[in-house]
Amino acid sequence: MKIDPGNGLKLLCAQCRLPLVSAPVTVRYLGQAFPVELPRCPQCGYTYVPEDLATGKMLQVEQALEDK
Amino acid sequence: MTETVLAHTESVCPQCLRRLPATRVAENDNVYLVKACPEHGAFRTVIWRGLDNYVAWGARPGAAAPPRGAGPRLEGCPFDCGLCAEHRQHSCCVLVEVTERCNLRCPVCFASAGGTRGDPSQAAIRDWLTALYATSPDVNLQLSGGEPTVRDDLPEIIAMAREIGFDFVQLNTNGIRLSRDPAYARRLALAGLDCVFLQFDALDDQCYRVIRGIDLLDAKLAAIDHCRRARLGVVLVPTLVPGVNTQAIGALVDFAARHTPTVRAIHFQPVSYFGRYPRAPDDADRITLPEVMRAIVAHGGGTLNAADFHPGAAENPYCSFSGSFYVDADNRLHAAGTDQACGCGSAPTRAAPRDETQHARQTVARKWAAPAQEAAPSCCPGVSVLSLDAFLAQRRRSLSISAMAFQDAWTLDLARLRDCYIHVAHPDHRVIPFCAYNLTAQSGRSLYRAD
Repeated sequence: MKIDPGNGLKLLCAQCRLPLVSAPVTVRYLGQAFPVELPRCPQCGYTYVPEDLATGKMLQVEQALEDK
Repeated sequence: MTETVLAHTESVCPQCLRRLPATRVAENDNVYLVKACPEHGAFRTVIWRGLDNYVAWGARPGAAAPPRGAGPRLEGCPFDCGLCAEHRQHSCCVLVEVTERCNLRCPVCFASAGGTRGDPSQAAIRDWLTALYATSPDVNLQLSGGEPTVRDDLPEIIAMAREIGFDFVQLNTNGIRLSRDPAYARRLALAGLDCVFLQFDALDDQCYRVIRGIDLLDAKLAAIDHCRRARLGVVLVPTLVPGVNTQAIGALVDFAARHTPTVRAIHFQPVSYFGRYPRAPDDADRITLPEVMRAIVAHGGGTLNAADFHPGAAENPYCSFSGSFYVDADNRLHAAGTDQACGCGSAPTRAAPRDETQHARQTVARKWAAPAQEAAPSCCPGVSVLSLDAFLAQRRRSLSISAMAFQDAWTLDLARLRDCYIHVAHPDHRVIPFCAYNLTAQSGRSLYRAD
């Protein structure tokens, strides 16, 4: 699958110039692992984390784990 | 019957408040604080029932963080509070008493209730808060009293505290006014209140009549519901009185679990004896921290363990315990982790030293305020974070279980007092450790409160 961020444009890997595709990724923090799907470059493996995800749900999960 | 001296410390005479050498003594399964006044005789008071975990519990994990701007030692602890250079912790939570008036007359109250002085003006409170913020801008603020909600301008005071810059404002209340008017909870929330620290002693009115003097259960339930609607986090605060409500510890934990995520924590306070007491309290009138932990674990029927609870990381370990849990769909509790905790919140494992008091402040703020709203879904297709969603949904129903053992003239251990990080803002701009501020001789004479 090719990734369209919603504005009609495809996300491209800046290094490989290839469209990012949705791929399974495991994110880890403080011993916990979360299987998610994120846009990733099919060639170099660069993974894109949207800003609203990083500052939204991911931050909430980090804080919850820090608080345990 | 053999006694073992565990440690030497200092205390005060419950009658004249002079400083005395004291010892912590183990006998059978209990630990006692033993001291003798040359004028008023010997005193021996239970401070810990459960010798098996006493020594291990006292291992100190956190580094001391001396207060900023401490004054010199003159007469020595506990007579130089303000704070002095002997104190080992700066402020975590600071209480500000916005009134002496109260709409209850509780036999167990240690606050200055029923005072005859008029309320401090908003200008006076602004002066106190501004001075506090200048030295301790990152403390959690608790508006206390008296009963703060008897002031009609409480929303303005909350807004003032937020405007000055305090990040976390909680309200210590009996809930009566909150119960009468759902719009009042919304006004407090809109003003910037984060958390309601709600006296909540029992689930039956017989207990309320003994501890608070009147039936209050319906008011407590309505107050919680109004906080839910206003998205205010609630901390239930039972004062535990042996023979009155100590048998209800487990039921209170169950109630708290059922009412997550509005109820964020339950914070037990074993009764301590401030004010005028013609007769010294008996040991049977006291319940100690390990007994509270054992009651919670026993009620869990195997689902909770003693290892789920930890001493405070920033204050003296013998002053508090806490544990973090989450609540499943059947309202059962599950331990959220095994990391070191602090007495009014908790703290995670860490690789490097850090400011434990600052961490405790931040953690308490997150754990006691209403849970965060669900984050907006990610804008990008190709993103699937169902595992994060499931984790956050589970953790929205987190519950902290904690307790804090306040010290009175019989149990006061100056080594513990020097580690105190719960302070009271004095009108003259000093901050006084809570147990020193409320300390009274058996006659009712106070060290720090104005008569």
